[in-house]
Amino acid sequence: MKRKPAGKTRHVVAWMNKAEWDHVLDYLYSKDLALRTHALHRISAWKGRFGHTTPVAVESTANLVRCQVLDGTGNMEGDDLVLLYGMALTRFVNLILERQHGRVAKPLRRLASNLNIPEWIVNLRHDMTHRRLPSLKWCRKGCEFVLNWLQQEYWSRQLSTRHIADWNSSSEEEDEEEGGKKQDDDKMEAEEEETVTRQRERERHKRARELLISYEHEQFQVYEELRQHSHERGPQLNTSTDLGWILAQINQFGSEYGDILMDVLVQDGFLIPTAEQLESLDIDPSGQFLDSFYPSLPRSFLRLWLPLLRVLSSAPFINQILDRLFAELSNEPTNHRTFYISAWISEILQCNSKCESKALRRMKMMKERIFVSRVPLQCQELISACLNSPCAATPFLLQQILTDMDKPLPTVTQHNLLRLCRIYTQCNLGDCSPSNTDPSQPVYTVESLQEQLAGAEQSRRVLSPKHGPGPAKAMPTQEIQEQLSAETIHERQAALRGSPWSVCTDKVPWKQYPLGKVPGQAEDPSCLMVETYSTLTVFDQQVELDHISHPHGNTSGAVVSRTGPDGPLWTHGDLSKLKMGLKLF
Amino acid sequence: MKVHKASSRSKNEQRNATKRHPKSKWRVHNKRIRSLDPSQLTSSPTVAKVVPQLANRQKSKLKRLQKAHAKAVTLSPEESNFVRAKVRVPPVTFPRVHTNGGTELETGSDSEDSQDWSSYAKSVLQNGLEMKGGEEDLTPVARVQLEDEEPPEYHAQYDHVQNHTVLVLQQGQFLCFRGKCLLTCLSGRVEVMGFTIEQGQQPYPLFSPPSHCPLTIIALGDCAPPGRNRKEGRLEAKAIVRKHLSSEPRKRLLSEVDSDSCVVLLQPLDTPLVRFLTSFGELDHLFGLSSKELRSQAAVQNAAFSAVGLTALRGLCARGLVVSRSYREALSSLLNAWEGDFDRCPIILVCGAKNSGKSSFNRHLINTLLNHTASVEYLECDLGQTEFTPPGCLSLSTVTEPLLGPPFTHQREAEHMVFYGQSDCQADLDRYLDSLKSLWMYYSGESPIVINTMGWVKGHGFQVLVDLIRFFSVTHLVQLSYGDAPQCANLTPEFLRSAHGFQTHPPAQPVLADELDGHLASRGHVLLSIHSEFEGAGTSGEMRHQRSNELRDLALLGYFSQLQSAGPCPVRPLHCFTPYQVPLSAVALGVTHCEVAPDHILYAANASLVGLCCLDEKVVGRGGPVLLSQTPVCPCVGLGVLRGVDMARGLYFLVTPVPPAVLRQVNCLLLGEVTLPKMLLTMQHGVETELPYVTADYSFDITGAGKLHVFKGLSRPCFLKAKTNN
Repeated sequence: MKRKPAGKTRHVVAWMNKAEWDHVLDYLYSKDLALRTHALHRISAWKGRFGHTTPVAVESTANLVRCQVLDGTGNMEGDDLVLLYGMALTRFVNLILERQHGRVAKPLRRLASNLNIPEWIVNLRHDMTHRRLPSLKWCRKGCEFVLNWLQQEYWSRQLSTRHIADWNSSSEEEDEEEGGKKQDDDKMEAEEEETVTRQRERERHKRARELLISYEHEQFQVYEELRQHSHERGPQLNTSTDLGWILAQINQFGSEYGDILMDVLVQDGFLIPTAEQLESLDIDPSGQFLDSFYPSLPRSFLRLWLPLLRVLSSAPFINQILDRLFAELSNEPTNHRTFYISAWISEILQCNSKCESKALRRMKMMKERIFVSRVPLQCQELISACLNSPCAATPFLLQQILTDMDKPLPTVTQHNLLRLCRIYTQCNLGDCSPSNTDPSQPVYTVESLQEQLAGAEQSRRVLSPKHGPGPAKAMPTQEIQEQLSAETIHERQAALRGSPWSVCTDKVPWKQYPLGKVPGQAEDPSCLMVETYSTLTVFDQQVELDHISHPHGNTSGAVVSRTGPDGPLWTHGDLSKLKMGLKLF
Repeated sequence: MKVHKASSRSKNEQRNATKRHPKSKWRVHNKRIRSLDPSQLTSSPTVAKVVPQLANRQKSKLKRLQKAHAKAVTLSPEESNFVRAKVRVPPVTFPRVHTNGGTELETGSDSEDSQDWSSYAKSVLQNGLEMKGGEEDLTPVARVQLEDEEPPEYHAQYDHVQNHTVLVLQQGQFLCFRGKCLLTCLSGRVEVMGFTIEQGQQPYPLFSPPSHCPLTIIALGDCAPPGRNRKEGRLEAKAIVRKHLSSEPRKRLLSEVDSDSCVVLLQPLDTPLVRFLTSFGELDHLFGLSSKELRSQAAVQNAAFSAVGLTALRGLCARGLVVSRSYREALSSLLNAWEGDFDRCPIILVCGAKNSGKSSFNRHLINTLLNHTASVEYLECDLGQTEFTPPGCLSLSTVTEPLLGPPFTHQREAEHMVFYGQSDCQADLDRYLDSLKSLWMYYSGESPIVINTMGWVKGHGFQVLVDLIRFFSVTHLVQLSYGDAPQCANLTPEFLRSAHGFQTHPPAQPVLADELDGHLASRGHVLLSIHSEFEGAGTSGEMRHQRSNELRDLALLGYFSQLQSAGPCPVRPLHCFTPYQVPLSAVALGVTHCEVAPDHILYAANASLVGLCCLDEKVVGRGGPVLLSQTPVCPCVGLGVLRGVDMARGLYFLVTPVPPAVLRQVNCLLLGEVTLPKMLLTMQHGVETELPYVTADYSFDITGAGKLHVFKGLSRPCFLKAKTNN
């Protein structure tokens, strides 16, 4: 639920994300030599990360592309190129077939046919190594073929779940050639289709926004008029015909594309008001008087949306919008969003409340109910959704859900759940104890949490068997980030003063940034490209060595760098001088 | 034989420095000598008497001085512990602590006490390293003496209140175990991996994970002051037990305590290292039994042990370190070399093919030497299985604490280190040798040095080995081998006179042969061949945590566990630490193992392991990163993780356990082929977004998805089918 489906092992790879992989793949197989060179350079960095675990296919592709790039520049002679191609092709054939060997070496030709590598490629390799060098023409042909083979067999299969599924279900001996081509065609079609659907979706979103904006516009006008009229205490305005028409359209749209409407509704500027909107409704946009533990909507803002919601309120819509709101809540939105989302949830839950609370009565009186008849809610799902999206108001919302359940949970379970929830959200119990809180346990320590955890976990499991990572998530994770005391920071800074180093004192929630990510880092795969760099040439290290060796009485001639086994000899004299220099006893 | 004698002298002297009652020293010494080296004492007290005169030639003056010095320090019994700790600090204040002490004392004492050593010499038989000569019949199996006769029964009691276990071992009894604990010797003396721990010494952490040979605690028997009868000794031991156990468990243990039994306190060990390692799901059985031990049901059920994190082993699995005869002999002659009248500190180079037992021997040797000297130098020439540093580093360390666990449990900052970046040196032999030469310059020559070499003893690897022997003017060469066929040529002094190295060559055959030959002969080394006889010698471990890449990962995890705070804080993943920052243009960046396109360099560096190095040059860039044109050989102060790069502000973020006062000198970051353990990247708790460099969608089933795989010993069909096919 959190990141990756369980059961799939996670591997460490050299590309930061899928985007970087796609980026390199695109460039590798593009026509532009500059782009291909760019891809080769990136693969050089990948090799740096992978070290000796570089995938054989990646290395082979890079070698072959390098040949084509060099060929394309036109600076190379034919014979040079044959040698280059020759090595790249030989390595490809050998490396890719290496794993096909069992304990006993088999003829490459047979192994190749298992992998759909035609015999002429293997023969090309044999020619390179054992016989007359093939012509440049054949080399180019071979290289092109192998690159295509690699694209089909490796690059387009890897990291695309659809293809992996295909691959896993099919046996290795299947006719890959045809399959590969077909898959390619399929892929093309699918891609085209995808773009079309995406386009359509975008249009629908636009339409939904337009409708909702015109609705808001209309409502604001009504509100303005209302305000003016209230001075005159004139008769209340009925919904204008314009509004009725807009509502009908929205309703129509909603019945067709409920999801899209919902998407737009939960965006800022609709169900979540912008500061401007709030100001024009005479609500303080700073939100400093709002109680994030007990969110409730400003009435005038609620009234803005009531007509529309009344029109839309059907049982499926209510369930859907609740789901949607909880989902938004779990995306860790801003405080402002959190408040309004939880306030809307609370509002809807209150409308559905079965007991006649004061609030409900007031709502009735004020005609503020979004819907009148109770809607059967999927309480189990709601609870797990609620727990999956912890925020300050979670205990409050949970309380509402629990009390409204048609088949209420055992009270002990309810208590435990609420208590756990409060511990997690750090809601202070002292100043906000709702009716159900157990006053005997006002302070929670880690121990009491541990005690409670067993029980709560159990109850959770009873509640929502699907809700796997819940308990782990409910554990407080605040402590996990290192909090350096001001003293420590000061000490470290003092130790580092005068050097280019310093302690990073930015207020960064590092625990949210995995290794390799920093705040403000773009998702773009070219975000780490270096624009300017300088090169430093280090003097021969031996200079330093001599320097150190002097106190030992060594002459600088004693330690000389050698290059290669055929370098100058360490003469016996040198050696004994060196030895003498080291003996201090 | 004379050298041998000298060894006992120095043991004596170390005690001397730490022991109370200067007046009764005489007697204390006698006892100690006796218990330590029974074999040699019996063999010839008469010869021993000759030694002092020989050894005294030049040193006597110095010795006296130091003796006085040592006396001044040894104040009271209460402080003995403290003093000992002090003595173990690098030997600045006590150069050659081991040499002080009166030689005359010994000669007298030998004859006096030699008559009763034999009463328990038998019990010390397990203590293989101290055996010599007379015990020829002692095969490694001798250590398993309990195997058939009596099932191992341990007298151990757990105290719930104080959360520790008191174990009483009879003389000669031993405990071979898996797990981890903190060991304090309350009474008597025990030996672990060659290191003797006695009453009054600090607690020592013991680690015995299934990645390595299990540790064994051997009771050496007490050396109660003579003149006190057995009853007194017994009462004293019982008092100690009483002090450490509450009434209920005490009763059961008291009856087992005798005057010569060892009382050992075992406490659970909960260090940041242990917490950090076991926080990874894959490693939660790191201190359990190996699968082989589980299969053979070698565990001894004992609640008192399991309460502090130990599992005792029995049967064949409880053999511990298998010490062959040649092993024992080599160890004792090295000890003698240190103690003897050798005119300089021994330079001991240990070599042998992979899995021939080099590193275990090194640990054993260092521990044994530490019984006699305050510190031992250690030069690491093996890039793959490093002892004190993360893999890929060459280093020179001063060892003052015994090594009672595998390398990943004692990762520490080396005194001098060079970052090589790969786990083998094949790619750049010259840089490898240059790095080692630069480290060698820091060797003071004041304490013995143990040089560990890599397991590559074929082809160029062998040539490099020849170079090393010449560079370091090795005095003692330990060559380990296994099986029937030798892994490489015997590195005798004669062989070296004609062998070609990679950088060095044999001296041209001189015309004036006489003079030079004489010279060389005097400079030649002593070759000690060891034939390893442990099970599985020469084959790499296949079980969990035994493969070399796993051990490398463990070493890195051990290194980064230094970041964890000592308090009872939760274990923090690496990304949760507040990083250091440094401008891109203020530190140089280099890749040691391959060519990376300069403008893509940060793709290789981001979220990678880097060596923190210090160049002499001043690094001043022009905005962007500063790239190195070639890999320098420069000092490295530690490793870090390049946590991220802030492109907008031009900053590297770095997480490292290196203290800031050292970090300030760092002006060069080197990338190597040694990468972060995978689990550090795949398990980053608290991160809600997608993890960079981690994917679950990469399929290794697809052709070409795997790494280059070298099949060794791929047989050709023609060899199988007797050339019928071809």
